[in-house]
Amino acid sequence: MIHTEKSHKNLIISRLLAPILSSRDIVDILEKIIKKTNTKSVDLDFSGVKFISRSAAHALLLMKERLQAKRDISFINTNKDVTNMLRIVAANRVVSEKQKPEFNIEKISVNSLFKEILV
Amino acid sequence: MEKKIVPKPKNDSLIAQLESLYKTFINTSPKENLNFDLSSLEWVCPLLILPVSAYINNTKSSCETNNSSIESYLKRIEFPKGIDSISLFQQRIQKYKSFVPISVLKKEAGASREKLEALFSEKIYQILGNVSGAQGAVCYPIAELVTNIFEHSKKDIGFIFGQFYPHKNYLDVCIVDCGRGFATAYKEEKGLKLTDINAISEVMRGNSVKPDKERGYGIWTSKRIICDALKGGGFILISGSAGLVATTKEEKLVSFPNFYWQGVIVAYRIPKPSGLLDISPFLE
Repeated sequence: MIHTEKSHKNLIISRLLAPILSSRDIVDILEKIIKKTNTKSVDLDFSGVKFISRSAAHALLLMKERLQAKRDISFINTNKDVTNMLRIVAANRVVSEKQKPEFNIEKISVNSLFKEILV
Repeated sequence: MEKKIVPKPKNDSLIAQLESLYKTFINTSPKENLNFDLSSLEWVCPLLILPVSAYINNTKSSCETNNSSIESYLKRIEFPKGIDSISLFQQRIQKYKSFVPISVLKKEAGASREKLEALFSEKIYQILGNVSGAQGAVCYPIAELVTNIFEHSKKDIGFIFGQFYPHKNYLDVCIVDCGRGFATAYKEEKGLKLTDINAISEVMRGNSVKPDKERGYGIWTSKRIICDALKGGGFILISGSAGLVATTKEEKLVSFPNFYWQGVIVAYRIPKPSGLLDISPFLE
């Protein structure tokens, strides 16, 4: 699962974690594993990872920033969906604040809602 | 122990399921010990059966299914306890082709929980026919809505259940927690005193309970993917005494008098994807 070479380690994410990465807290597990490595360079190998959530991508980028003083962390073998999600989340980090959605919608009574069942 | 009859939904719409759910829990205290009578049901959708399952697990309530015509179905979906083991889950999904059993996701399980959730998402994607580009549309709502449970509910357990209806060509998914709910989360994390209906509005405006400005996109983006990217989906979000009911065409906020769900219920219905899907515009 962890392939050791002289100067860097290759961590296969789909085996260490899962083929679909959803949760922020899963990145904490990965961070602990990286901190235990004794090499300067760590490749996070996404072969076999089919999807990453926005939350997990955000947590992953924050982790990379936290560790960058001590480790060179690279994301390798990311598929199109994973690459796209990491790109979008990274782009949103450099923009000061993404425009939040408008949400001013109709409030109705429960009786009005349930009348729709028979329409 | 008070007996609660789970009423038969008037039809198969999400709103009809919601009405039965509302009538099941009306005039009930959040942690009251109940005995659920399911004998009048002839079929069930995730929105109705998963909250009952979660409630039973959370309060050690009980249920009667013996005289129900759906007794064998309830056993197959692992109602009410659900399953939390990867090996058992794998056995079940090989056996049954149109549903994914009630799955119990436990926070402390870490990578095992993530693998179980991944199996759930992959099975749902497979049930929907492995349509090109649909994986993101299928996985995004499940991933973001489940992670929301563990981020905000302050509960270490969540429930998820999915059922595909091949003759109707749509999939229903429900995700439930019995945690603190949105209004309490805003109060405890940000000091905001909001009604349940205003707390749901804040969620849908993308205002996270966490201080980080980059957060808060999970639920409203999920709703957009379900209702807009997947064209024709329906989305229901309930917390406390309020709910949001959204479709591609309209959105409505509703107050539920004499009803209080301790935590959050998310239910959605998506039509089986028929062509290439791209969720990127909804993520930018």
